[in-house]
Amino acid sequence: MSLLEPFALPYMQRALVEVLVLGALAGAVGVLVVLRRLAFVGDALTHTVFPGVVIAHLLGRSLLLGALAFGVLTAVLLTFVGGHRRVGNDAALAILLTSFFSLGVVLISRTRGFTADLTVFLFGRVLAIDRTDLVQTLVVAAVAAVVLAVLHKELVLRAFDPEAATAMGYRTGRLDLVLNLLIALVVVAAVEAVGTVLVIALIVVPAAAARLLADRVAAMTTLACLLGAAGGWLGLAVSYEVSVDRDLRLAASATIVVVLVAMFLLAAALAPLRRRMASR
Amino acid sequence: MTLLDAFGDGFARRALLEAVMVGGLCGAVGVHVLLRRLPFFTMALGHATFPGVVLAALAGISLFAGAAVFGAVVVVVVALLGARERVDDTSAVGVTLSGAFALGVLLLSAQAGFSRDLTAFLVGSIVTVQPGDLAVTALVGVAVLAVLAALHKELVLGAFDRGGLAALGYPVLALDVVMLLVIEAVVVTSIPAVGTVLAVALIVAPAATARLWTERLRATMALAAALGAISGVVGLAISLQWRIAAGATIVLVAAALFGLSLVVAPRHGLLARCSN
Repeated sequence: MSLLEPFALPYMQRALVEVLVLGALAGAVGVLVVLRRLAFVGDALTHTVFPGVVIAHLLGRSLLLGALAFGVLTAVLLTFVGGHRRVGNDAALAILLTSFFSLGVVLISRTRGFTADLTVFLFGRVLAIDRTDLVQTLVVAAVAAVVLAVLHKELVLRAFDPEAATAMGYRTGRLDLVLNLLIALVVVAAVEAVGTVLVIALIVVPAAAARLLADRVAAMTTLACLLGAAGGWLGLAVSYEVSVDRDLRLAASATIVVVLVAMFLLAAALAPLRRRMASR
Repeated sequence: MTLLDAFGDGFARRALLEAVMVGGLCGAVGVHVLLRRLPFFTMALGHATFPGVVLAALAGISLFAGAAVFGAVVVVVVALLGARERVDDTSAVGVTLSGAFALGVLLLSAQAGFSRDLTAFLVGSIVTVQPGDLAVTALVGVAVLAVLAALHKELVLGAFDRGGLAALGYPVLALDVVMLLVIEAVVVTSIPAVGTVLAVALIVAPAATARLWTERLRATMALAAALGAISGVVGLAISLQWRIAAGATIVLVAAALFGLSLVVAPRHGLLARCSN
């Protein structure tokens, strides 16, 4: 099996660039998500963006714009949700997540032949993205990367020591909003390629694996970016190879996620070994 | 009443029965899910049963069996991953959820006619429930309610005070496993009605709504069950009337009841709080 040969085709090249950028970006944001234990918030955002995608599709507008509008809306909602004592944060998240998702399903169920569309929105079509999609993804990713680079120090401080962050005069509420917006941007950037449901894997899995292997935040972030990008590359290659040579069609985005989870399991197996070597 | 006219046909009556049973069951279990702060886990369970459903469909065996086996595997995997010191529970659930879901998609994508079946699993297809599904729902429902009634005191104490439960000599871990298996059974049972992704909504929303109206636990469970069943019936009626996806409509009704209660409920509602 070759890691380079499939990428001679133009559509495979576009897919490769897309997953490399997304993998690295999601890895970097994912470290903050994992450190803050916000996997459920990330999962919620992947679902709440869905109705935006559907509405944009029904209106014939850019899916990315629809996703962006709903991503920003729900990032704001999620920051302020759960202040209610009787309801609880996770219950509020679950209700928000499922009701937004249902709204998307209801809207799209009015159209004819909706199951095919639904599948594309949920699982993406990384092999069918064109040049415009790619440029849009790159722009969103660049914005997210700049925000992340500028506020990284503050976001990490907020993750480890919220009291110190408040004492130093940072508005933790605003930092939470920034992180939610960053997650939303990753979801938006990834929506065409891997679909709304599998983005959460790009965010959580490489970061969780990096946390097993690295102790310092900088090392963890680098590793998560590398793992995310490598998982994307390997997943695409495997999916192509198996589909073409073995005549067994494997959905590209799902293959990427399965490769990432395999990396995580490997990291979990290696972690005790590493700690033993470090303590020696 | 025009809404009820929609239930004239055989398939609609079956769907109605399923909606009432699943809604009531989910509502009752949901109170425990909230007490133990397990909504994200329940969500993961819904996603993670997916490869089991796909494998069962491919092997031609009962979908329930496939989903139940995979659900049990997920319970174990989450417990094992979460026990490692550098993987917190939330990340363990996140990894398990996305990995299992991707596995399901992968298995299904290797088949022809991929998108249609997928949608039924994901968002449910309550209008096509068969008499067999109804029987399974009824059986599981009776079993789950019997367990919840028999172990009510122990399960509630376990949610509030695990140390106290252990001190009284109860097997804490065994009771935890019983609770998780009950949740799993309910999630698997609701898949034909609302699908893997939306089952968590029918479990969490009615229970959260009921908690806004009453503080007594038994009353909360009864109210949650009633709200779940009402959401099922009203959602189904609306979906048949306007021909929109049934599972998603049921969820939206449940969420609307929650939103309304959040505003107007006595004592815990936003209006009551503002006026105090």
